[in-house]
This record gives sequence, structure tokens and C-alpha cells, in this order.
Amino acid sequence: MNIQYKKGVIELCVLSMLYRKDSYGYDVSEYISKRINISDGTVYPILRKLKSEGLVTTYLSEESGGPPRKYYKITDLGRRQYLADKAEWLSFVRQVESILEEDGNE
Amino acid sequence: MNRNEFIDILRKKLYENNVSDVEEIIAEYDEHFSFKLSDGYSEEEIAAKLGNPEEIAMQYLAGNPERKSGAKKAIVVTGLVFADIFAGAFFVLLFGWILVMSAFTIATAIIGMCYIGGFNVYSLIPPVPHYWLGIIYALMFFSLAVLSGVGIFYCVSFCRQLVRAYGRFHRNCISSASGKAVLPPLPTYPQFPMKTQRILRRIALISLAVFAVTFVLAYISSALAAGVLEFWHAWKWFMN
Repeated sequence: MNIQYKKGVIELCVLSMLYRKDSYGYDVSEYISKRINISDGTVYPILRKLKSEGLVTTYLSEESGGPPRKYYKITDLGRRQYLADKAEWLSFVRQVESILEEDGNE
Repeated sequence: MNRNEFIDILRKKLYENNVSDVEEIIAEYDEHFSFKLSDGYSEEEIAAKLGNPEEIAMQYLAGNPERKSGAKKAIVVTGLVFADIFAGAFFVLLFGWILVMSAFTIATAIIGMCYIGGFNVYSLIPPVPHYWLGIIYALMFFSLAVLSGVGIFYCVSFCRQLVRAYGRFHRNCISSASGKAVLPPLPTYPQFPMKTQRILRRIALISLAVFAVTFVLAYISSALAAGVLEFWHAWKWFMN
């Protein structure tokens, strides 16, 4: 599938993960690449894009025995955007499904 | 392609594309390598799964924040300078208070020693007619000195922690204005270990109790010794 096409959907998946809990970059990358067939490096630019759009922010968390880790956290704007995008995506998928099923009924 | 080659190409391309905060991006990929390596993957495998570094660098072009952060940063810095003036004055005041408390502690300790030693330089200390009465006075002053000593210790720790917390706040303001990640804020009150806390509380309580008891005791015994309630008139303390 076209990479640009996937990227928009992956943005939604990343927001969905961060909607549930704050995570650091590697966490997000692992979570997404285990479920969707994309190269591991794709998630980091998406995280940065989401940050520059103000949908997520970052903070450092000091952990024992290591350098501070950069966590991503969804913003209020990000939450609203996610819920709106999710609803839109789900209804879009249903519409596409109904079209494709008509073809299968022949 | 190994780790260094991947990182080098990515860094070079990011700089060529004028992407901001290149090192922050590099740090994330470097961390990715570290995590995967500890999971047992080879550097070549990890690099292959990450994808082509040149293509990755291209993906950062879309999400590159404009250089608008310069103006925002200037506003934040201006605000911080004003905040610093007030915070600075406040810290000077706190420091002054610590100095006053220290002087008080030292003075009370010296007065106590004078009563015990039985000397009275230039009659600066109100004289008492009996030595045993002086001992009670000395105890009273010593407990006061210990109490304010604990106060100073706490004050100094508080002051130190406040300065550190303010420093962190200061740093985070600038970091967030320039779009960098921020560190968690520090607590504004000192964090003592439980044991220190217990000891401090015990010393403070005991010295307070001793002070209260000796104060009452000193008054009663002075009044009895002088034969009047306002014993300081009998001993001509405030008459020169």
C-alpha cells in the first residue's frame, strides 16, 4: 500500500496509543510496527509532525540508571482531534466496506 | 549498513534539509538502536528495518516547525527577566532572614555561656543575684539557641531547594519556548530523608519544651527570689 496513504492512518494509530497513555518514542515505534507493516523509522517523523501541530507534547522523565527519557503526551487539542478523526475514519471504513461488499454479492 | 553509517547519513541529510533540532532526532534513532541491540538484533538488521535514512530525512521536511519560535522565545526571556528581578529580591530577603536568625542563635548561645561562666562584660546582660538562677537562665537561652538553630537548618534547606526549583522552572520555560523537551519540575520544599525529619522534629520539640519549662521556672524563681512579681524592678534591670 502507498506509504503516504498509510501515514495518515498511522497518525491516527499513534494518537490512539498516546490517548491511552504517555509513551516514549521507541514504545510507539514498537507498538505500531508490530501491528502494521511499515518500516520502523516511519513513526519518529510522524511523532515530530504531531508535536509541531500541537497535538502532542514531550517531557523528559528522569529514570534511575539511565539518561532522561523523552516521553510523548497527547494535548487537549490532540484529544479532540483524535476523537473527531476516529469517528470520521470509522464511518469512512464502513462506507468503503459497503461499496466493496456490493461487488462481492455479484 | 551499520549503526554509525545509518546515523551519519541521517544526520548529514537532516542538516542539508535545514531541519531544526537535528540532535534531538538523532538521539531518538540512537535510542532505537540501543533498545533493539539489547533485544538481540544486529546493527544491520535494525538499520534495514528502520528504512532508508535519506528517505527518513525527507519525511522530516513536512513536519519541520517554522522559525516562528524566535519571537516567542524573546517574549518568554523578557518575562523571565522581570520574574528574576522579583525572585532575586525575594531570595535576598530570605538570605537576610537567615543572617538575622544566625545572629540571634549565636547571641543567645553567648548569653547562656555568660550566665554559666558568671561573667558579665560591661554589664550588658541583666544581672541575677544568685548563681543557681543564672543556670536556669542559661538553660533557657541554650534551648532557644538550639530551637533557632533547627530553624536555620530548615530555612537554609528551604532556601536552597527554592533556588533549585526556580532554576529548573527557568530552564523549562526557555526549553518549552524553543520547542525542546522539558524536565519535570522540582518540589519547592526541601526533601529530607525520614530519619533526618524525625531527628529534626525531635530536637525542635525537646528544645521547645525545655525553653517553655525553663522560662516559667525562671520567672517563678526570680519572682520568689526578689519577693515581688515584677522582679526586674527589684533588680534594677532597665535603669542605668
